[in-house]
Amino acid sequence: MEVPRRLSFPLVLPKPASSARSPLGAAGQTAGSSKDQTGGEEFISEEKTPESGVIVVVEAPPEDGKAARRFSSQDSFSEESSLSEERLEEEAREAQRRAEEEEAAAKEIAAQRQQLAIQELVESERSYLRLLHLSTVTIRSNLQQQLQPPPAGLDSMFLHIEEVIDVSSRLLSLLDQKQLQSGEPDFLQSLCDSFLSLSSEMEAAYKEYLAHYNHVTEVENSYKQKEALWNEVVRVIKAAAPDVNATSLSFFLVMPVQRIARYPLLLQTIQKHTDASHPAYALLEQTAHTSVALNCRINEYKRFREVADKYRKTEMLTIKDKIVRLNTHSIAKKTARLGQQIKHEAGLKPKLVDEEFDALEGFFYVLENGILELLENVEMYLQHLQGFLSCRTEDFDLDMDGEKAPICYKEITTALRQWILPMFEKRMRKLIHQPLCALRDLLVGPRNLIRKRLDKLLDYGVIEGKPNLSYEEQAVANTYRTLNTLLLTELPQFNGLALQMMWSTLGTFSCLHRDLAADMEQLFHSFAQQLPHSSLSPGAFWEWAESSVLEGARRLQHLCRMVEDKLNAPDSQPLSPSSQRRLKQLTDKHGSGKIFQVMSTVVGTRDLDLNLTKGELVAVISEADSRGDRRRWLVDAGGKRGYAAASKLIRYHQPTDDPPPSPHPSLTEDVTTRRRHSYSPAGNAPLPMSQPCFQVVGAYDFTARSKHEVSFRAGEPVRVLEPHDKRGSPEWSLVEVRGGQRGYVPSNYLAIMPVGAGLPPNPGFFL
Amino acid sequence: MKRLKLRFNPQKLRPQFQNNVRVLHGIRLKCVDGDIFSNHLQNLYFVTFCFHEVNCVLIVFSALCVACIFAWLTAMSKAAVKISADLLSNPLCEQDQAFLDSMTALDTAMRRMDAFNQEKVNQIQKTVVDPLKKYSSVFPSLNMAVKRREQTLQDYKRLQAKVEKYEEKEKTGPVMVKLHQAKEELRPVKDDFEAKNKQLLDEMPKFYQSRIDYFQPSFEALIRAQVVYFTEMYKIFSELTDQIDQAGLTDEQRERETEAKLSELRALSIVADD
Repeated sequence: MEVPRRLSFPLVLPKPASSARSPLGAAGQTAGSSKDQTGGEEFISEEKTPESGVIVVVEAPPEDGKAARRFSSQDSFSEESSLSEERLEEEAREAQRRAEEEEAAAKEIAAQRQQLAIQELVESERSYLRLLHLSTVTIRSNLQQQLQPPPAGLDSMFLHIEEVIDVSSRLLSLLDQKQLQSGEPDFLQSLCDSFLSLSSEMEAAYKEYLAHYNHVTEVENSYKQKEALWNEVVRVIKAAAPDVNATSLSFFLVMPVQRIARYPLLLQTIQKHTDASHPAYALLEQTAHTSVALNCRINEYKRFREVADKYRKTEMLTIKDKIVRLNTHSIAKKTARLGQQIKHEAGLKPKLVDEEFDALEGFFYVLENGILELLENVEMYLQHLQGFLSCRTEDFDLDMDGEKAPICYKEITTALRQWILPMFEKRMRKLIHQPLCALRDLLVGPRNLIRKRLDKLLDYGVIEGKPNLSYEEQAVANTYRTLNTLLLTELPQFNGLALQMMWSTLGTFSCLHRDLAADMEQLFHSFAQQLPHSSLSPGAFWEWAESSVLEGARRLQHLCRMVEDKLNAPDSQPLSPSSQRRLKQLTDKHGSGKIFQVMSTVVGTRDLDLNLTKGELVAVISEADSRGDRRRWLVDAGGKRGYAAASKLIRYHQPTDDPPPSPHPSLTEDVTTRRRHSYSPAGNAPLPMSQPCFQVVGAYDFTARSKHEVSFRAGEPVRVLEPHDKRGSPEWSLVEVRGGQRGYVPSNYLAIMPVGAGLPPNPGFFL
Repeated sequence: MKRLKLRFNPQKLRPQFQNNVRVLHGIRLKCVDGDIFSNHLQNLYFVTFCFHEVNCVLIVFSALCVACIFAWLTAMSKAAVKISADLLSNPLCEQDQAFLDSMTALDTAMRRMDAFNQEKVNQIQKTVVDPLKKYSSVFPSLNMAVKRREQTLQDYKRLQAKVEKYEEKEKTGPVMVKLHQAKEELRPVKDDFEAKNKQLLDEMPKFYQSRIDYFQPSFEALIRAQVVYFTEMYKIFSELTDQIDQAGLTDEQRERETEAKLSELRALSIVADD
């Protein structure tokens, strides 16, 4: 779109002129009444020849204005040559008289012209608006109704035109409101006022429309590709608007583009025909300036938009696409950028630094990080909430019907799950999660532009110092400057808005939780009052709760121990008579230390293996087979001899015979009397399975000196695992202290005490 | 990127509990199918017993979940504080007094919440979590007892079948001897099983009954604790909301406002609007 370079026309005031009043007026009238496209370009030329005082004013039609002007000036020169001296004086008087007349006439003419120009502006605005209406209402709806299916993208063609129509009709209605005729002097003033008051809205409306116009032409071209469709479209347009010779949609849609550029022209024409002493002159001048500036800004905006559109999108390319795109140009470009960057990093070349931009960029990244992190956390929170809701705890039948507290609790969870939490979740999704997601999606554009700006900056850095730039280099520099300016102007706005949104999200978050806490509190409070201990003060209540919990734990432990003592006692059964006979026979033959019991039934697989049943007693003759394999033992199974797997055998402890050597006879006695025949891991002293009547305690404090030893305090109960060390020396005992730590302690540090003699039993020792 | 760190994570616990349910279900089936010697009443006991273990655990666990919501909340708000601290450290934000104030408000709220949370967690730990843990720690040994009874029952059944086999045979001398031997073997096993069975039948109902008294204070404490907790939370959040939120907006207003901001953002040329 071209913006006129002429900011204002040199205004030539009409000087006293001779005749030509009536033709001028007539011509002016015809020119004014013609409302065609070229009306605004109408030239009204004046020429004057100061020496002779003969002024010929020629009203020329726009097509041949120049020719006419040339002709008239030649005329005046020829006239001048034939003038005689004596007539000069008369002429001068006459001229003066005529000049006065001319002046009055010229003023009138100027006023008329001004009025015509004003009328032109108003009238053309009206017809413009009418055509826009026609296209958006009639043609659009006809297209939609008559073409089945409606062509794709039709709506997008009319995207911003509504705003344009709106601002144009507001301009007209402002003028109409004043009820002024276009001839009145106030009219110009009101026109300028209206225009100025609407200028910012006009800019907003038109800039969107113009930025969007490329898209319109694209869509229309796509229609033109399909001939049948295009014919239909043209038919519809012609049927809807028979009076104008329109053959395409863009005939209408281009109008705003032309219109905005015409405002400066029209205004300047008015200005040209307005006397500098006119009361509205200053205002008019300002309006004309504004309209020009408006156009400039719109142009600038459009350029920015184009650059932004080009670079902000993330291109979704496959590797194949990328390879296809590679060419010498792109490779050269990328290499140059890389080289430039390396030079910067290495400090070979000074970097171009824009501090303002860097600050903005940094802030943007912090913001981006914050938004992403917040979003991630919100998502996680919602996920947990979902998990909680899916537990459906209220469905479990507790079978605690008589009790108040569990019932209350059940009702509470029901209420929570049925309405409080689902509602909370819904609000959370709607008010926090969705906006954050939307915000995250909006981050893409600025991010891409920032990246692209860096690329362009590198390109720019290469050519920055050069005095003369080629056309391409100029383009590169321009792209960089545009991108930089664009980001500098819009990034602060973006950052500010995004920050505001983040804060409002946090505010909403807090508000939602306040509501949730209020609901929860009410719910729990209403049930808490029904509880049996609701009357207790908080301190007393917690004391009660803790003590009853402890009491419960004690009872539970007691119960548990009862069960454990009786049921978890090792498998024990008196030997059958046949086994007793076998035991006696084997003991007589081999001695009690050699008797083993079979842990599970074994079937012999190799030569000389024995088949043994579970529980059978055997005597071990040799702890290895003839080849020295220690995993196979030679055993005597009451007459039969053969090999058995060592892993299936376990030492058999006879009830009374051969108590394990122990420095604490009374303790061992105690243990063994409570124990009947049992399996027990070979080599380990039997473990007391229940609370004994006697308890071994530490007599003195003992501190471990190595990791094989264990510390205990005087009076602390310990459990003796082995009353001797690995070599069998009774000076050391393997014990287990409170907390399950095991280690050796000196045997003389231990003492035996009856349980209940002032020592607390060891709670939870078996739990 | 920082993630929420949670003290209790029901997501993690859930499969564990589900597994427990499966295991116990298996035990129940075994009871029903193989136990020809026990009566139905006893079976029912086992069934209810098994399922109530899970239920009790789950119900208390659900209570913990409620507490969890706020634990997450704290974690999340902490993340928010961190974000705002990051923002605040940026020079562009330093001058913004309103921002500073909001930030301080948020931080204070978090501190209060944290301190309070710790206190609550301790209380709940003592009155709810610990008893629960203790209660579930009993189950392995009880299950062991049930298993031992099962084993004895198998032995019993085997020997019983042996006795029956000899009884059906012709009463010749060697058979009589074997029958006698088998009966001799059966007697101690039978005694053993009966003792164990009786023990279980005595103890299980007691144990089952004990849960009511046992969890009663826990439930009460839980409800009481949450009343206190939510009252405090309400206070904290009210103050915070007053400071950082525009008070009194309805949800629709909020949505509209967000929408307005978003469209403002979309209107910028640097933002892709498709």
